[in-house]
Amino acid sequence: MRRASLAAAVAALVMVTLVGCGGGSAPATTTPTPVSNTQQIVVDLGPDLNGQKVGADNSLYTNVQICLPGTSTCQTIDHVLVDTGSSGLRLLSTSVGLPLSYIVDANNNGIGNCIQFPDTSFQWGPMAKVDVHMAGEVSTVPIQIVSPSNFNGPPTACSAGGVPANTPSSLGANGILGVGLFRQDCGAACASSAPPNVYFSCPASGCTTTTVALTAQLQNPVWMFPQDNNGLSIKLPAIGATGATTVVGTITFGIGTQTNNALGSAQAQAATARGTFTTTFGGVAYTNSFIDSALGAFYFLDSATTGLPNCAANGDAAGLYCAPSPVSLTAITSGPNPSSSGTIVSQNIAFSVWNALTLIDSGNPAFNNIGGPNPGAFAWGLPFFYGRTVFIGIEGQTTPAGTGPYWAY
Amino acid sequence: MPARYLHPMNKALILMSALTAAALPGWAALGGSVETVASDQVRMQAKRAVTQMREYNIHLISRDDGTLIKEYVTPEGKVFGISWTGPTIPDLTQLLGTYNAEFQTSVRAQPRRRRAGVVRNPDLVVESTGHMRAFYGRAYVNSMLPSGVTAEIVK
Repeated sequence: MRRASLAAAVAALVMVTLVGCGGGSAPATTTPTPVSNTQQIVVDLGPDLNGQKVGADNSLYTNVQICLPGTSTCQTIDHVLVDTGSSGLRLLSTSVGLPLSYIVDANNNGIGNCIQFPDTSFQWGPMAKVDVHMAGEVSTVPIQIVSPSNFNGPPTACSAGGVPANTPSSLGANGILGVGLFRQDCGAACASSAPPNVYFSCPASGCTTTTVALTAQLQNPVWMFPQDNNGLSIKLPAIGATGATTVVGTITFGIGTQTNNALGSAQAQAATARGTFTTTFGGVAYTNSFIDSALGAFYFLDSATTGLPNCAANGDAAGLYCAPSPVSLTAITSGPNPSSSGTIVSQNIAFSVWNALTLIDSGNPAFNNIGGPNPGAFAWGLPFFYGRTVFIGIEGQTTPAGTGPYWAY
Repeated sequence: MPARYLHPMNKALILMSALTAAALPGWAALGGSVETVASDQVRMQAKRAVTQMREYNIHLISRDDGTLIKEYVTPEGKVFGISWTGPTIPDLTQLLGTYNAEFQTSVRAQPRRRRAGVVRNPDLVVESTGHMRAFYGRAYVNSMLPSGVTAEIVK
């Protein structure tokens, strides 16, 4: 792997110190005094495993501190992937050193949680309640512990023939911080019926699917904060066409709750109850589109529709687009104004796609012009975030722009 | 919706029926026979409706959690295409059947990267994408497409 060799060479240059929690200056104007609501985020070469950086391209990371509930027994975990496409904190068991107790159901059986990704990878494990600290914020929420040795293995409905993302190298991170549009990972679908592959009751004899009440599901830690809990924003600087070695930005909790998190000129577009919205390209409306910071590229449509050539199927850039020269494109995102008016709000999104193989082989981890196929829709991955402040209005939460779920940028 | 792909002359051929799972055989895997009984259909408490087109049938299978699966079946009863939407990814080992191994192998041959699961082999095409609460995708086998039918109808 070219990445591996480069990683060692530049390791000393990318020792970015992240702000785990607390800190910052508190403006002392009114009571109650606002807490610090900003924390550093970074795109770099990823977590260190035996001296080697094992991240994937365009991975956005932050630090998360977890504590035994109500105590100062804590640890800070670095390189947790910031994911706007899911909700809930998931930490690799190998990254967790605290003596956590797993959550059990009414029959004293551990509750297993599963998340599957379209690339056939999955995460499986029990849940534990912890205090999650980010910036000056704290919430007490159930999180997922991925693949601990002292819990049932994944049910076949969860593994489904795929591969577990349960190590720093297979995940490219030490965990996933799901701070998406929703309060819970699954929501009403798992409270009223039991989908075959999300929640399980796990006696030693084996796991079976179960319903889980909303309050007991994996929670987006942001909406459980006592304040600054109606949403968040992710701000990354613009980068050049050849990528960047390290990109440092800011995650800010709350929307319009403090002087530093006003919407400003950002325009809000409501998402559907499924978290999707419409992206129009070439005159065609693609209604299943979404924004997902955990995706490393602009994943959209296919080669036949876009005219962008696919990269070689057996190379470093397999599954991406390899345009011989930068191609400038424009799409239109749209959705109802989340305020009561409901008027459709549309924005032109200009973006560029270049040769993914050239970019990846440069050794940089951060690119704003890497693309790949996602037939039938736009999946706006991390490149969308460069040069923007993207607000996420959480479902059911009130903000100055209306009630979530919505995106604003 | 299936009606979107209907030629007007085919409308008379439509037959819709919605029955409970317990009274019906399950759905078949890609490439398999529609008569195949899936062992876990009863557990999934799915409902099924059948739309008859001129060149193929669509079996629409819906689950209480919002999962919607369409199976595209040749007049001979073979499943040549599948599409799905839902809050979670349906069990692709079951839906892809004997083609699941090829899908898994092809996906894993690509560099590790969080992304859609897109495989476009000469015969097998699988496109799996989305995120929690909004997954969708489709799969089809080129050599099994009925004469006069293009892959675009599988959606």
